[in-house]
Amino acid sequence: MTTITVLADHESTADAEVVGDRVLVAPGELPRLLGWTLKAQGLCQDDVCVPLWDRAAVQPGGDAGERVDLLGVAAALGRPAAFDDRSGTLAVGAPVELRRQALAGHTAPAFELPDLDGVLHPLEAWRDRKRLLFAFASW
Amino acid sequence: VIAVAIDDDPEVVRPFTDGITMPVLVDREHLLTELYAMSNVPTVVWIDERGRIARPNSEAFGTDTFREFTGVEASRHLDAVRAWVRTGVVDVEVDDSDDVVGDLSDDEVRARLLFRIGAHLHRAGDAEGAERNLAAAVDLAPMDFTIRRAAMPLRGLDPFGEPLFDMLAEWEEAGRPYHGLAAERTDDP
Repeated sequence: MTTITVLADHESTADAEVVGDRVLVAPGELPRLLGWTLKAQGLCQDDVCVPLWDRAAVQPGGDAGERVDLLGVAAALGRPAAFDDRSGTLAVGAPVELRRQALAGHTAPAFELPDLDGVLHPLEAWRDRKRLLFAFASW
Repeated sequence: VIAVAIDDDPEVVRPFTDGITMPVLVDREHLLTELYAMSNVPTVVWIDERGRIARPNSEAFGTDTFREFTGVEASRHLDAVRAWVRTGVVDVEVDDSDDVVGDLSDDEVRARLLFRIGAHLHRAGDAEGAERNLAAAVDLAPMDFTIRRAAMPLRGLDPFGEPLFDMLAEWEEAGRPYHGLAAERTDDP
């Protein structure tokens, strides 16, 4: 067992076993790490479930209660993922198709970011107003 | 106006915000560059009252501070913003933002994830791990300023010095790839 860091919608750590290109964690960790729960009908979030066509890709052991592969879960959710095994760091990106559809359909993707004092602000905080999003940097 | 700093450290951003009343957010994970397919700064996006993108990613400056360097006049975009706020009329017609912004390639997406890992390791004090991931990110997206240039300060390189000029030369050579509407340049033929 090793401790991994997961950079997804937020940053968290978990006990995992890395076997080849699989990053295995207890299924009970999924809601905390990625916001989804593994059930008989698939991966679920609130009332929405994503069916798993290839359960073995997510849960190599096959039986309920067996550990799940975070890279397999990310793939099943259509989210890109990269794992740096030397540091045990996993980054999981936004769902690719949702991002593509939003941009192609001229819909502003939602996000939530902290201000300089760490207070989180969702884009929605300024809804019903014209907004000019200005990305800048010190570099 | 919502300003978002694509930066690692809020304290680096703070000096830029002196006397500014607009909200300033910090995006150290580069979420925006992924969600909105941004490849450089400054990039502006107009979002209307219904949450629709009224004008996609565009290169625009608030002032003429860098005009000699960039060849971009600030006034053109500022006038367009004022007209949009007053009348709702957008100065450019964009039917298909696929054509204008384009999608991130798989490599550009993976570069963002590796950048995120590299920046995390940099903060954690793992210089070797940071370099391993940042270098891999730059290899995947060498024309993306939010990757290659943003990685420079984290890799001990000067983002205003030789590494930038090397990148700019390659970027010019490649036809100035940019996800969005490039600004008109006064030095353009």
